[in-house]
Amino acid sequence: MKINGIRIAALLIVVTFPGGGVAFAAPGPAVIRLDYATYNPVSLVLKDKGWAEADLGKDGIKVEWTLSEGSNRALAFLNSNSIDFGSTAGAAALVSRSNGNPIYGIYIYSKPEWTALVTLPGSGISRIQDLKGKKVAATIGTDPYIFLIRSLDTVGLGLSDIELVPLQHGDGANALVRKQVDAWAGLDPHMARVQVEDGATLFYRNPEFNTYGVLNVRKEFADKYPAYVDRVISLYEKAKGYARDHRPELIAILAREGQVKPEIAKIQIDQRTDLSVSTPGDAFRGTIAAAAQVLLKGGQIRPDVDVDAVIRDYIRPGFAEVALGGK
Amino acid sequence: MTLKSVLLGVLLPVLILLVWETGSRLRWWQPNILPGPGDIAQYMVESVRDGSLLKNIGATVSRLAVGFLLGLGAGLIFGSVTGFSRLISHLVDPFIQGMRAIPSIAWAPLFLIWLGIGEASKVALIALGVFFPIYLNLVAGFHGVDRKLIEVGRVHGLGSLALISRIILPAALPAFLTGVRGGLGLGWMFVVAAELLGASRGLGFLLDYGQNISRPEITLSSILLFAILGKLTDALVVALQRRVLSWQDTLGVAR
Repeated sequence: MKINGIRIAALLIVVTFPGGGVAFAAPGPAVIRLDYATYNPVSLVLKDKGWAEADLGKDGIKVEWTLSEGSNRALAFLNSNSIDFGSTAGAAALVSRSNGNPIYGIYIYSKPEWTALVTLPGSGISRIQDLKGKKVAATIGTDPYIFLIRSLDTVGLGLSDIELVPLQHGDGANALVRKQVDAWAGLDPHMARVQVEDGATLFYRNPEFNTYGVLNVRKEFADKYPAYVDRVISLYEKAKGYARDHRPELIAILAREGQVKPEIAKIQIDQRTDLSVSTPGDAFRGTIAAAAQVLLKGGQIRPDVDVDAVIRDYIRPGFAEVALGGK
Repeated sequence: MTLKSVLLGVLLPVLILLVWETGSRLRWWQPNILPGPGDIAQYMVESVRDGSLLKNIGATVSRLAVGFLLGLGAGLIFGSVTGFSRLISHLVDPFIQGMRAIPSIAWAPLFLIWLGIGEASKVALIALGVFFPIYLNLVAGFHGVDRKLIEVGRVHGLGSLALISRIILPAALPAFLTGVRGGLGLGWMFVVAAELLGASRGLGFLLDYGQNISRPEITLSSILLFAILGKLTDALVVALQRRVLSWQDTLGVAR
């Protein structure tokens, strides 16, 4: 029975992890699977320039790209072993990690103010308290959702005081514009779009409640190919440096990938995206720990979870420290 | 049903549960991909305790009930009218048959625009799913009434109303109930589709919720409840069929 179990487990590993079977012979994976997202402009630059393909191709490694429409999607992809590296918000990844998704947070791709509470003029909503009993769209398992919970908490409200309408980010923006919901916990570039095109207003902003854009890796990948985690971080850092130095081009790439006008992409890049941080350090740790306190209170993180231990295990600055040489 | 047939029917699910739990305990696979029955039970207990499970089941069942009744009503009306009137049948039936070719889920985005994100669009989608099987079976039932039966009725001097109530309706009833059963099955399918469109509660909401926060045991609980509730409502219809059609002199194997 024991032997059978091990055999089946071995078979499952070979079946579920492509490339796993040849790991003994070759030092690297056959494929590295990255995601790209309009809330992660650095990923768009990296994909656009083809640097990952060029660099990893030297080792005979193929690169596959998958679109993530939100942290919830990226986390589901990571959990199901559909991608190796995924872009999420810090707090969203923490919730997922606390529920058993085996991932590490290894790199900060941006420190954005990408979410806020959004409404249309004439909705009668001008402060958080006004949301009581109203329909509010948000994507569960993402930073805007967590932002909404924390915002409500500041005025002593919770999710049960509003009617949450779970919609993916882009659909939430459309629902707001069609007046199917009263407010929306937004995400750029959709948020900048409804601001410019529909006159939507951000009635509650709080940059401190945005929990960083973090690149995650599957534990299993990181344990098996640590050197390639460093390589991917180096590639990301190259793309980020390019993004910092070529703002107009970054805006053009985002406008193209996000299918928004350049002036909309410009708002996201120029006003709300800080590309100066790369290593997940104390500030990042503090931010997600603060989010975790409210999520514990609201039941989004289960009460039996040891949050400090999960955060310690989740954040792995070592990879970025090696790859970036202490930058 | 005999004891033996019950035992036989339960054998496979129990075997699957055993292997599933054993595999989970022995970590044949990762719990973040496939949690064990124990995890699912734990979530169910948790969510029954805090009342959220009952709220979600209630939301789904009430949506389904309203949608089903609307679909049933529409199916009855359109089916009867086209079943009885040749003119209206020629006029309406080709159109409805054409509409049937559209997968009902394809209507979802349009319903969202027309009816908004609230209950109306969800109920309408379910009603649409329920409507077609009921309509089609009812029409087929009416058209399939044996002409000889009607002749016999005429010979016995029945008027039009008596013909309808004593012969045509009973003869079309089996087909109609088959439609009801199919409609209910489709109703369950469409309630899932409807609840994936921005529902804040319901079993379909749980399905998505579990995925979005990386708790597959919630998704699995939802699937399990769909199976149980679907089977229960189907059993109700079958019981109704048995009762109403007890006059039928058939082998009864098909049911």
